[in-house]
Amino acid sequence: MKTIPWPALPAICLLLSGCPISLLGFEDSYILELEALVFPTDSEDPARFNDDFAASFEPELRTTFNEGNTITKFVPFMRWSSRDQERRHADIRELYVLHSLDSWETLAGVTRVFWGVTESNHLVDIINQTNFLEGFDGEDKLGQPMVRFSRSFEQSALTFFILPGFRERQFLSIDNPLSVPFPINNDSPLYESSDGQSHVDFASRFSGYRGILDYGLSWFSGTSRDPYFVPAEDGRLIPFYPLIDQFGLDIQITKDAWLWKLEAIRREFNNATSIEDFSATVGGFEYSFYGMADGLFDLGLLAEYHYDSRDSRADRVPVIFQNDVFAGLRFGFTDAESSEILAGVFVDQDDQSTSFRIEANRRVFTDARISLEAQVFSSVDPGNAIYYLRNSDFLRLSLELYF
Amino acid sequence: MQTLKVITLGALLIAAQINSVMAQTPEEKGLEIAIAADQRDSGWKHQTSDMEMILRNRAGKESTRKITNRQLEVQGDGDKTLALFHEPRDVKGTAMLTFSHGLEPDDQWLYLPSIKRVKRISSKNKSGPFMGSEFAFEDLSSQEIEKYKYKLLKEESCGEYECYVIERIPQYANSGYTKQISWIDKAEYRNIKVEYYDRKDALLKTLELSGYKEYPGSYWRADQFEMTNHQTGKSTTLLWKNYDFETGLDENNFNQNALKRLR
Repeated sequence: MKTIPWPALPAICLLLSGCPISLLGFEDSYILELEALVFPTDSEDPARFNDDFAASFEPELRTTFNEGNTITKFVPFMRWSSRDQERRHADIRELYVLHSLDSWETLAGVTRVFWGVTESNHLVDIINQTNFLEGFDGEDKLGQPMVRFSRSFEQSALTFFILPGFRERQFLSIDNPLSVPFPINNDSPLYESSDGQSHVDFASRFSGYRGILDYGLSWFSGTSRDPYFVPAEDGRLIPFYPLIDQFGLDIQITKDAWLWKLEAIRREFNNATSIEDFSATVGGFEYSFYGMADGLFDLGLLAEYHYDSRDSRADRVPVIFQNDVFAGLRFGFTDAESSEILAGVFVDQDDQSTSFRIEANRRVFTDARISLEAQVFSSVDPGNAIYYLRNSDFLRLSLELYF
Repeated sequence: MQTLKVITLGALLIAAQINSVMAQTPEEKGLEIAIAADQRDSGWKHQTSDMEMILRNRAGKESTRKITNRQLEVQGDGDKTLALFHEPRDVKGTAMLTFSHGLEPDDQWLYLPSIKRVKRISSKNKSGPFMGSEFAFEDLSSQEIEKYKYKLLKEESCGEYECYVIERIPQYANSGYTKQISWIDKAEYRNIKVEYYDRKDALLKTLELSGYKEYPGSYWRADQFEMTNHQTGKSTTLLWKNYDFETGLDENNFNQNALKRLR
């Protein structure tokens, strides 16, 4: 994919004012994003860069047959970055055929799947590899090949996933301030499964609602999306992906202006890896005041607590959310530009390490959105899992053009 | 709502007819008209339509939203609706699924296509603006008999029609209105105009519906809704297109899988 002269694509589309592919019966749409990242804090490491300008392009082609019962979709993604060569990459986010018949739905191909209810961490969400090349918050995902069967019932659905083809985690280059603090050899990651990357994973999920309750029960069996690290001969670390079984539960209760949320997982490893099983949970609420300041905005109050049974200081993997609280405010403006602000703070209850985060966006022109994201790691204890980010405060400004 | 509604409404109609022999109160007459209007618009089973929403601020600056609507009539409960957003393009593919329940809170889910997430959302915000427009969520929600108390105020001509003028007082929680005054034409029970009074009982908005067309099954639909906010000077126009009552939609088009399939 890396050989595609990708900047040519959006340029051609813009020149032709709408790609001619739409003539072939495809619905086409495009997102072009321009991004500026600034790291205002100087670090001890002179090799680290302090800014990054990037551009990404995501076309989407979709077509339907059979009175809308068969859908095909293709969403490639490509990014260029001025500083980080690892961020210069391309991926296929979606490439699938979906067929629905009565209460049955079958999908074959590459797609993304989201599970869960909470805002400040996504524990049960496991199908896709998290993609930190695009964003820091872990909400970006790589496309996952799968065959998926789903059956809808009156108030629930049962879904089975067959997941061939493991997607490795991609890492930022070592001179990126948001990179993990050690060099990684990602050329040939290690797998517990002898099938390596071609191990076939399985998952299933039962989800539904009953009155004010929404629930999901999930099970995943296969190669963990989260790598552990083992030292290589060259001094770098090699990612190691163990086999796991993970059970997940997510619950939301929606009552008046209250949303009560809970996610919990149990992850079990094989004895051979000598990695200890663990449990983790995140739970909390969001309460909204509607029509504040004479209807100018809605105000949401959020609080979520994070627990992880692992001891973050003793284990082989640093655990960020082991006893932490997130508290935040969400401003949803009622203006024609759909302006939004979400501001919050993460506080570690063991060592008081604190990180502030803000996300804001509003529509500009007719079909564009301008976003600001900033995070400050204000007082980080040397023993905390995010100590390596102590000088990595960042401000990200982006403009997304939709056409 | 149908079975239950038909039975209760049938009973109410009989009661109303017995009553009409004697002298009817304005409240009884108002309810009778509301029931007749509801009956007149029952039995369509499913419908789809495209909607263009034009927001206009006081200075006349416009912005546009485009939405596709699917609706399913439900036996014994409120209607199910699925709204899919096309424009502005930054919200393309966003979709909202609503199971309405009359006086009980609606069940509502929002699909965010960028992260493929379905979120259950609170339906408490009835009086909040829909997509920055002059339409509140409650103005666009499924209209059920039990949501209001009615009173026939008078009968008068309204434009080209002869109308009943009915006061409606919301009975559901969290309404932004103390009352609504609606003009309903006597011939086909079409909504011609609605005035909305805010919590201070001052005139807030006027809705005018025009361009009525008759669709198969004798269902009447307006092509244009014009909502004017008298207090802010802003207005919103809804242009309805491509009404279709023969789509064959069923329950399977109104669940979370269907919500995610739209984009």
